[in-house]
Amino acid sequence: MNCIETRALISAAVDDELSFLEEKQFLLHLSECNECTVEFDDAQRTKLIIRERVVRFKAPQTLINSIMQLTSFSTKEMF
Amino acid sequence: MDNPDPAHQKKSLQTNESLSAGEHKKQIEFQNEAVVHLNALYNYALHITMNPDDAKDLVQETYLKAYRFFNSFERGTNCKAWLFKILKNNYINLFRKNSKEPGKVDYDLIKDFYHSIKDARNDTSETDSDFFHSLLHEEVYQALLSLPEEFREVIQLCDIEGFTYEEIANMVDSPIGTVRSRLYRGRKLLRAQLEGYARKYGFATDTDQ
Repeated sequence: MNCIETRALISAAVDDELSFLEEKQFLLHLSECNECTVEFDDAQRTKLIIRERVVRFKAPQTLINSIMQLTSFSTKEMF
Repeated sequence: MDNPDPAHQKKSLQTNESLSAGEHKKQIEFQNEAVVHLNALYNYALHITMNPDDAKDLVQETYLKAYRFFNSFERGTNCKAWLFKILKNNYINLFRKNSKEPGKVDYDLIKDFYHSIKDARNDTSETDSDFFHSLLHEEVYQALLSLPEEFREVIQLCDIEGFTYEEIANMVDSPIGTVRSRLYRGRKLLRAQLEGYARKYGFATDTDQ
């Protein structure tokens, strides 16, 4: 596997979406290539920062209530 | 549920005394499978509409449609992914057709948006010296919003919502290979944006060293 082929797999490697064979070849290349390793580390850190730093909001109670009316359940049981 | 209160029956779309056993079962299943994802749907709706009222409308429409067509949901598959697909279609139908051009980001709106919700920020207790950890939520979010929509969308679905490539491919109507390459290119663009912020604040980045 060369650098171009390896970089095409970087996102899938970060997300644990490589096949067994792809992963084997990918790691073999990284063990021999510093530049691709840096790219891989960068992609991993970028994913991490998005997960950590983008605020997640909870649904407001009025919305919870209106959705619950669909099924007529008590809202306190779930939220 | 068997609720004899007439006022309650009026409000509920599907609750009445003659509720069939099948409908009752559907309600229970819908709650367990679909309603549990309400927070995730609202969060995503808020991030794509940038407006709490629009986000609420979008989520309501999504659940109404999901409940109506719940029998067509393939049991055993990811219900959250199914709901997101419905939400995305609703978004296109309800908002994008008659609103601003796609891909254009209103930075003043983002600023106001983050200003209005800053109390809700959920800081992590990271002590990492990595420059990324010095970045504020707003900056990371601005960097994310500065990406072309096709990249931003897959990053949100993958990194924030945790969907698999197969699920994302289905949601965005593209092959898995396209999802892979959009994620790769999107993260590279994002990285460049974030490094720009880091330099602005005097942090050394890998490329400076």
